[in-house]
Amino acid sequence: MMAFYLSRLVEIFPFFLKGLWMTTKIAFISLIICTLIGFVLGVIRASNNVWLKRIVGVYVAFARGTPFVVQIFIVFFVFPEWGIQLEAFPAALLAMAIMGSAFVCEIVAGGINSIPKGQWEASASSGLTKIQQLRLVIIPQSMKVIIPPLVGQYVLLIKDTSVVSVIGVTELTRVGWITVVRIPEGLMVFALVGVLYFSISYPLILLSNYLERRMTV
Amino acid sequence: MIEFKGVNKWFGKLHVLAEINLFIPKGEVLVICGPSGSGKSTLIRCINKLEPIQEGEIIVNEMSVHKPSTNLTKLRGEVGFVFQQFHLYPNMTVLQNIMLAPIHVKKIAKADAEKIAREKLERVGLSEKAAAYPIQLSGGQQQRVAIARNLAMSPEIMLFDEPTSALDPEMIGEVLDVMVGLASEGITMCVVTHEMGFAKKVAHRVLFMDEGKIIETGKPGAFFDNPKTDRAADFISKILTH
Repeated sequence: MMAFYLSRLVEIFPFFLKGLWMTTKIAFISLIICTLIGFVLGVIRASNNVWLKRIVGVYVAFARGTPFVVQIFIVFFVFPEWGIQLEAFPAALLAMAIMGSAFVCEIVAGGINSIPKGQWEASASSGLTKIQQLRLVIIPQSMKVIIPPLVGQYVLLIKDTSVVSVIGVTELTRVGWITVVRIPEGLMVFALVGVLYFSISYPLILLSNYLERRMTV
Repeated sequence: MIEFKGVNKWFGKLHVLAEINLFIPKGEVLVICGPSGSGKSTLIRCINKLEPIQEGEIIVNEMSVHKPSTNLTKLRGEVGFVFQQFHLYPNMTVLQNIMLAPIHVKKIAKADAEKIAREKLERVGLSEKAAAYPIQLSGGQQQRVAIARNLAMSPEIMLFDEPTSALDPEMIGEVLDVMVGLASEGITMCVVTHEMGFAKKVAHRVLFMDEGKIIETGKPGAFFDNPKTDRAADFISKILTH
C-alpha cells in the first residue's frame, strides 16, 4: 500500500511543484512590497513627526497584535463589504503586505534609532537636508543592524504564506490538503510539503546566519 | 556677523539661555567658558539651529536662524561645527567623510571635491590617512579630520564645542595647533573650551557663562588674570588647580 501511495505521490509531484511556485511567488512579491512599505513606515516611525508616528504606531500594533489568519479573513471577507472586492491571490498579497510591512517597519525603525544622535547632528550641521542625512549617512550605517533580522523576517514571511491557503490560494499547503484527501498518508504528504518549504527557507536561514556573523564583527 | 537679540531658551523648566544679547563681529575669535551646565554648548548649538530657541532672534550673515523660511542648507554651509566627540561617519573613509558635504550640499563635481578634500587634509597634517577609516585613527587625528571636513565647505564661521575635552592630554596640542592656524586666517570662531593657553594666545574676547547668563566678557589676559566677578574668579581658580 505504502509503495502504491508513493508512486501516486510521484505521479502528482508536478502539482506540488506548482504549489511551490505559487508559494514562492507570493513570498517573493510580498517580500518586496513589505520591504518597500516597511522602510517608508520605519523611517516615519523613527522620525520626529508626532502625528504620523502615532498613526504608524497604531497600524503596526494592529498588524502585529492580531493573528495573520484573522487579517486575511478581514481582507478577503470584510473588505468586500466596504467595496474592495479582491480575488484570492491579490487578497493574499495585500494581507501579506499589511502584516509583513509592520514587522519590517519595526526592524527599520530599530536600526535607525540605533545610530547615535551625533551622526544626525554632524550631517545636519554640514548642510545636508533631512532626506540626505537619512540616505547618505543614517541608513547606510543602520543597514548593519537592519539586514540580519530583516532576512530572518523573510524566512517567517515565507512560512506565513501557508496561511493564505485558507482563502483558497492553491499554494503549497493547500496542495498538501488536497492531496491528502486522495492519498490518506498524512505523514508522507506533509513531510513532502515540509521539505519543499524548507528548500526555499533554508538558504535564507543560512544567509541570515552568515550576515549576522559578518555584520557583528 | 553673529548677533543674539534677547534670546531665551528652556529645557523644560530649566532656563538654559537667559536673555542673551551678544554681537560677534566678523573675524573675531571668541572663547566661551563656564562651569558645566552653564549653557555654553547650547549657546553655540543655537547658532546653526541644532537647538531651537523659544524667544528672541539669532542673526547669522543677515539670516534669521530660527525663522522657518530661512534656508538652513545655505546657513549651515557657511557655519562649520566641530563636536566634542568628532562624529565622523564610521562607514566612510577619511576622504569620503570630507567629500560628502561638498558633493551633496554644494554640488561640487566629485573630482574637484576630492581635490579640495586632499587640500584640507594636508592642511591638518593628515594626508597619509586619506584612505583610513575613522576607527583606525587616534582621537586627535579624528578631530583634525572633523575640522578638515568642516573646512572643505569653506565656512565663514566655525563653532567648536569643547573640541579637546574628549582627547588624551598628549593629543590636545595637535588639535589646538590647527585651531590656532585657523584663527590667524580670519575665520570667525566661537570656541567653547577651558584651554586657557589657547584662549590667551588667540582669543580676541572671552565670554564667561553661568546658569544660562553671560556673566562677564573681556580680553583674555584681563579676564584670566583679573576677573571682575566672584563667580568667574572662582571658576578660573578651579580650572587652574584641576
